[in-house]
Amino acid sequence: MENIRIVLPEIENIHEIETYISNGGFKAAKKAFSQTPGEIIDQVKKSGLRGRGGAAFSAGLKWSFMPKSTDKPKYLCVNGDESEPGSFKDREVFEKNPHQLIEGTLITCYAIGAKTAYIYIRGEYHKWIKLMQKALDDAYAKGFVGEKMKETFGTDFYCDIYIHKGAGAYICGEESSLMNSIEGKRGYPRVKPPFPAQNGLWGNPTTINNVETIANVPKIIENGWEWYANIGVQKHPGTILYGISGHVNKPGVYELPTGILLTELIFDVAGGVPGNKKIKMVIPGGSSMPPLRGDQLEGVRMDAESLKEAGSAIGTAGVMVMDEDTDILKVLARITKFYYHESCGQCTPCREGTGWMLKTLNRMIEGNATSRDLDLLIEVANNIEGNTICALGDAAAWPVKFTIQRFRDELEQYVKPEVELPIYNKVHSMRETTVPLGVNKR
Amino acid sequence: MPKLTINGREIDFKQGQTVIEAAKDNGIEIPHYCWHPSLSVSGNCRVCLVELEKMPKLVIACSTLAAEGMVVHTQSEKTLQARNAVMEFLLINHPLDCPICDEAGECKLQEYAFDHGYGESRFDEMKNRKEKRVALGPRIMFDGDRCISCSRCIRFSDEIAKATQLTFVQRGDRVTIKTFPGEEFDNPYTLNTVDICPVGALTSRDFRFKARVWDMSETKTICPGCSRGCNIEMWVRNNEILRLTPRENLEVNEYWMCDWGRLNTFKFVNARNRIDGALIRENEVITKVSVEEGISKTAQAIQKYKASQIAFLGSAFATCEDNFSLAKFAKESFSANNIDFIRYVDETNQDDILIKPDKTPNTLGAKSTGIKPGNSGLNIHEIFSEIKKGNIKALFVMEDNPAAISDDYKNALKKLELLIVLSVNENETTELADIVLPAAAYAEKNGTFINFEGRLQRIRPAVVTQNMERSLDGMSMSRLDKFGTKYDSWASGHRVDAQPSWKLISMLSQKLGGKINYQTAEDVFDDLVKSNKEFSGLDYDIIGEKGTQLDSFIKVKETV
Ligand SMILES: Cc1cc2nc3c(=O)[nH]c(=O)nc-3n(C[C@H](O)[C@H](O)[C@H](O)COP(=O)(O)O)c2cc1C
Ligand code: SF4
Ligand code: SF4
Ligand code: SF4
Repeated sequence: MENIRIVLPEIENIHEIETYISNGGFKAAKKAFSQTPGEIIDQVKKSGLRGRGGAAFSAGLKWSFMPKSTDKPKYLCVNGDESEPGSFKDREVFEKNPHQLIEGTLITCYAIGAKTAYIYIRGEYHKWIKLMQKALDDAYAKGFVGEKMKETFGTDFYCDIYIHKGAGAYICGEESSLMNSIEGKRGYPRVKPPFPAQNGLWGNPTTINNVETIANVPKIIENGWEWYANIGVQKHPGTILYGISGHVNKPGVYELPTGILLTELIFDVAGGVPGNKKIKMVIPGGSSMPPLRGDQLEGVRMDAESLKEAGSAIGTAGVMVMDEDTDILKVLARITKFYYHESCGQCTPCREGTGWMLKTLNRMIEGNATSRDLDLLIEVANNIEGNTICALGDAAAWPVKFTIQRFRDELEQYVKPEVELPIYNKVHSMRETTVPLGVNKR
Repeated sequence: MPKLTINGREIDFKQGQTVIEAAKDNGIEIPHYCWHPSLSVSGNCRVCLVELEKMPKLVIACSTLAAEGMVVHTQSEKTLQARNAVMEFLLINHPLDCPICDEAGECKLQEYAFDHGYGESRFDEMKNRKEKRVALGPRIMFDGDRCISCSRCIRFSDEIAKATQLTFVQRGDRVTIKTFPGEEFDNPYTLNTVDICPVGALTSRDFRFKARVWDMSETKTICPGCSRGCNIEMWVRNNEILRLTPRENLEVNEYWMCDWGRLNTFKFVNARNRIDGALIRENEVITKVSVEEGISKTAQAIQKYKASQIAFLGSAFATCEDNFSLAKFAKESFSANNIDFIRYVDETNQDDILIKPDKTPNTLGAKSTGIKPGNSGLNIHEIFSEIKKGNIKALFVMEDNPAAISDDYKNALKKLELLIVLSVNENETTELADIVLPAAAYAEKNGTFINFEGRLQRIRPAVVTQNMERSLDGMSMSRLDKFGTKYDSWASGHRVDAQPSWKLISMLSQKLGGKINYQTAEDVFDDLVKSNKEFSGLDYDIIGEKGTQLDSFIKVKETV
């Protein structure tokens, strides 16, 4: 296994600005400022860097959507809301290498022409907000951020960075909701299009990237895009901060190249399952990604393409391992409860559907469900998926749909042929239900 | 013009239009709850999901820009599946308390459930409960259970009423509407949210539980509350007006009306203090007589006055027809020049939205139908000072209440030898009158008003008086009017013994041997058209439901 560290180098006290500087810190920024923004975007594009916030979208391509000639101010939002269950890697960056994140922010601002960046950190991360603020204050004091940059770097360019605290809503990690939150509005995702590059913060061109994505940038500039493109797998290069949790001996965040075998990650890196128990389920990318059965893990590699092929997705690479004793129904109900709780409630399918699924799953836990309820759950999930404003709807639907599909036999053990339902006086019309939809016309 | 195809039909659209707008302009309705033509797009209800060819996912028609060559399906299997799914989601937690819901009969949830629902519930869980009967403000009651979180009320308040008072609170299916801390939902336009709320979540505290929607007739008319002349529907059951709602007219009021107009311009029609039959005062005794007799008495009393001794007050509350008849009568029977009307302007009560400072509906109408001093005639102030001096001895007042203007006016009226008043309600002036003739209210007659920018608009009768038949004037009918028999108590509300002012004047003219002899308001209008070129070429049909801009007032329109 290669020992390449890009985002979390093994250098003691690198979180302190002096250490960061003495290890070549802010040199990448200086190098970047001597080139044109277009050249920076081009290098990042060629490096193959893909977003680490869930969708694995090409960072350079995203930056290139920013309008070049505009009178409007442009913004960068660095997304550190990190609230997906199973995801806890961005906080490592805040804690262990904050200055590289700041440097990456400077370079990205330069590339997209932003003079203001917000680092949005989830509200519960009190400790990390403080650490990040301290790092930012130090960087300002040393003239690496803000107007003093002009002197420090000898350029005309400068930008300001602000840390924005979330208030405890998962949905504010969704990029358009995050912008509303920064604007002081309710954390409601926006209807897209228009996309943030056209119409973002306060209606101005905006780029949103994940913390880890941005933290990669200085090293790409420093070592060149070819260097980066050759790490890990070709279509999804670089390293990933894998966050491994659940039934493993050594849970934690590990920085390793993309494309590592999932089994290698679990058994070698994370020390295997306690008591050598069998694995029942692995969620490879944070709780919203489709789960894999224990017998589906062989040969699966941790990168966007391989996981897609395996019937899941890389997400935030938060790998959750569950052993043979795990109660799948309870896991599913708990995950569903999370999305139910975090749905912003704006759009109908997610607002109503998440609650419906949760109620049905809870009824199943109480032993009052039939096999038909499993089919119904899949239908409800399908009716949410793809029909909502933001991807939280999909995030709520996938675990339900794929868990039932992949663990049907086990879940069938919870159902009965006949049950007592909370509702017995449902409304049914006399209408023939065989009539095709939409033909009942007034 | 660029074109797109919806359900196999090619339609034109304007650049920048969304699919839902293009469809609407071509008479194709794409179901929607949250979208409203004059509010920002929120895209939250998801009922307008449609299929676009070459797109993997369905898109919402309200936010998708129409594009040349786009192929849209609103009835494809995929679309219907999604629409039905959304309907099902909306219904699972809905209380379905239609039997006691004010919205029933005009509820979009009912309508789309009927059109697009399976008619079968798959929901085996307990429904969510939320707060009910929350008074959001002095005029609005909120039912959280019924709310479908479409945000129309919030967007209306922010964008149209320019009053940021409402917000969503909570998340997920706990979301509900609240006023901001320390705020009341009390802006001058709150009741419009009741109209645009697709369900019965917002109800009018004035109207709630008063009637089933289908038991009322609705009549297209005009609010007389100010010179805006908002287009409205008047809702009547048992010959009683129960509510007013705004009627779309993009030239005048868009989709809105003010709360004041909505609540304060109809109750006087239903009121107990209507002038119901003529009133004659003789030796300080007031006797109620028939309208015929009242007219005879008036003719006897008034005929002895010369032009210099008599004055006539028209009214900006009365129609063009009433004012025209009065002006014509005054000139024809008395050669009178002392003609004017009272202005009601309150500069402190206006805004940039709808409310105008002129608190009458027809100032321009009164002016342009001849209610102004003739050759060396007296204006309104001069009329009152000449009354005080004893030079003006008789005053004929149509649909106004000068005694309420000031003590000065009131005292002047007491000096008159003869005060004839045509009035809808009892008031300070009728108290002083020698003869009161019962005028039909604006809700009981045909006629026209001219609004502040010169738009001529029609009012129509919604309430019947004693001498009227509903079928006459093509009055609209409710279920009760159609199916109630004389043995039912349904359609038997009180009928006032009153006549439109133009009619009273016409009768009076006849008694005095004059030539004025109108049978219908339309007759009066046609005569007005003949004698006044500002109105030339017009008739009631041309004015239509949305009114017509008078050329002669184009300048007025431009300067306002
Ligand atoms: C419900 C929801 C929650 C999200 N939460 C986060 C988050 O906490 N952090 C994050 O970086 N991206 C999150 N995302 C993804 C962002 O919308 C966005 O795609 C991402 O920040 C882009 O950064 P990247 O291109 O660098 O990955 C979330 C998306 C959804 C739909
Ligand atoms: S999908 Fe869910 S979280 Fe996203 S906008 Fe709709 S209700 Fe809100
Ligand atoms: S109260 Fe009515 S208008 Fe307001 S959000 Fe609820 S359903 Fe929509
Ligand atoms: S703005 Fe004027 S015309 Fe419109 S509803 Fe109010 S009072 Fe009536």
